[in-house]
Amino acid sequence: MPSRNSFSSLVAALLVLLVAGCAPLRRAAWTGDEAGNAEGGVAILPLQNLSGGTAPVTELRQELARRLALRGMKILPEAQLEQFMARHRLRYVGGMDAATAQALRRETGARGVLITEVELYRTPFPPRVALTSRLVTTEETPRIVRMESVALSGDDAPGLLGVGLVRRPQEVTDRALQLLAEALTGGKPQPIPRVPLGSDSVYLARPLDPGRSYRVAVLPFFDKGSHGYAGEILALHFIGELVRQGRFQVIEPGTVREDLLRYRIIMEDGVSLADAELLFGMLSTDLILTGEVNDFEDLQGAQAAPKVDFSALLLERSSRRAVWSMGDHRTGMDRVHFFDIGRITTASALAAGMVHQAVEESLGR
Amino acid sequence: MPKRWIPPIMTLVLLALAGCAGPAEVYRDANMDFGALHTVAIMPLANLTRETSAAERVRDVFTTKLLATGALYVIPPGEVARGISRVGISNPVAPSTEELTKVAGVIKADAVITGTVKEYGEVRSGSSAANSISLSFQLLETQTGKVVWSASTTMGGIGITDRLFGGGGEPMNDITERAVNDAIKKLFQ
Repeated sequence: MPSRNSFSSLVAALLVLLVAGCAPLRRAAWTGDEAGNAEGGVAILPLQNLSGGTAPVTELRQELARRLALRGMKILPEAQLEQFMARHRLRYVGGMDAATAQALRRETGARGVLITEVELYRTPFPPRVALTSRLVTTEETPRIVRMESVALSGDDAPGLLGVGLVRRPQEVTDRALQLLAEALTGGKPQPIPRVPLGSDSVYLARPLDPGRSYRVAVLPFFDKGSHGYAGEILALHFIGELVRQGRFQVIEPGTVREDLLRYRIIMEDGVSLADAELLFGMLSTDLILTGEVNDFEDLQGAQAAPKVDFSALLLERSSRRAVWSMGDHRTGMDRVHFFDIGRITTASALAAGMVHQAVEESLGR
Repeated sequence: MPKRWIPPIMTLVLLALAGCAGPAEVYRDANMDFGALHTVAIMPLANLTRETSAAERVRDVFTTKLLATGALYVIPPGEVARGISRVGISNPVAPSTEELTKVAGVIKADAVITGTVKEYGEVRSGSSAANSISLSFQLLETQTGKVVWSASTTMGGIGITDRLFGGGGEPMNDITERAVNDAIKKLFQ
């Protein structure tokens, strides 16, 4: 039987271990330079701010890069990327066209680019953050290999007597970046909320051929509301959902943008068949998705519900007709029947749910 | 009660009931074969309200819902805009017969729908307030430019519960959807 002294030592050691386990994880020091030889690594582009307000994009980018590197992603050093961007006068960071992608690969050896958009960044209570990232290859034709979104709010899970409320914006941001880094490196993505749509909200002329892979170009949606960037955000959600479906080869939005600019295609009140004809040929695509956003609002306040209203249209190359369309309006409180159960706290999460439901139900395999 | 009083009383009751009937809200051309229509274009709607985006919102909902019925193909708004611009229609919410025929030829539409948003938003009466919408649509046959169907619908407004218990009535989008569905029902009845 152990002596009294040795028993006390054992208990003390256990307590020390327990206390050490409770200590917050210290941030592992990582700087871009430690990526070392970035041959075959990923270039993390500066974040594009679509939130309509201010966001600490530099800090968010550094933190995302740090977390991705800790999870084993090889990152192109920041200085090397900055030199490349200065050399090529690269200012648009919301996409990657084919020429820039090839130059990046040739000059830096980067095999991929991570393009990240800040959809929402609010620090007053409840703090809210929404981010979308996509990993694009630097092949001859840039290809989206992975796309993930995360949207969090400090009042996502208030719990009993508000014990689950998160008041510090930093906590919400850290959690969002961690979830995004995990999802991008093979971890579990953030679950998409289920948002049932009305039966008369979706039109499908005929089901798509299940055995076929379709090339799709998603054009920015027309923002008819007051957000300013809602059209781009909605297009990103559609791109993400189509990429996740696996049967669609979605053309990198940077390539689409480049072609729209090169051929000076200006669409008034939506895409016309003449424009669509040109785009089908230029982008060698089977389908073109476009639409308009009427509302995309994240109202501030603990009980404020986000509001999303949009319509989308899918044009088919072979028939030159709309083969699919959807339009609906939802608020974050639509699924709530009692005690705020089922509440969706951000417009990004609500839009993701609506897009997922519409695509999964009618365009999924 | 003497039996001779029954006919005049019945007549009075019938007249009173007839007085309660609302005005006819639908017109349909009896000679029109609606089954021959496959493709329609929805022109920009006239907006008589103070809400600047009301017409575009209603047009968007109407386009989606009409397409979702599967009975008619609705030409995408971008293609309609191209047709309007190509023909040079100065006032697309009220095109002339000639303009209508031309635009239908450009965008290959069998019929064109025009409409008006007469009321959209909050209405007040005393201390009560509620959302309300009032719409009217016309379907014009493109060969002759003749109106073959016309309907109007009104939804929302202050009900008895709003007067008694307050509240702001239904959300605007729900009312818009109900009004549009009502108009579509009148088209296919």
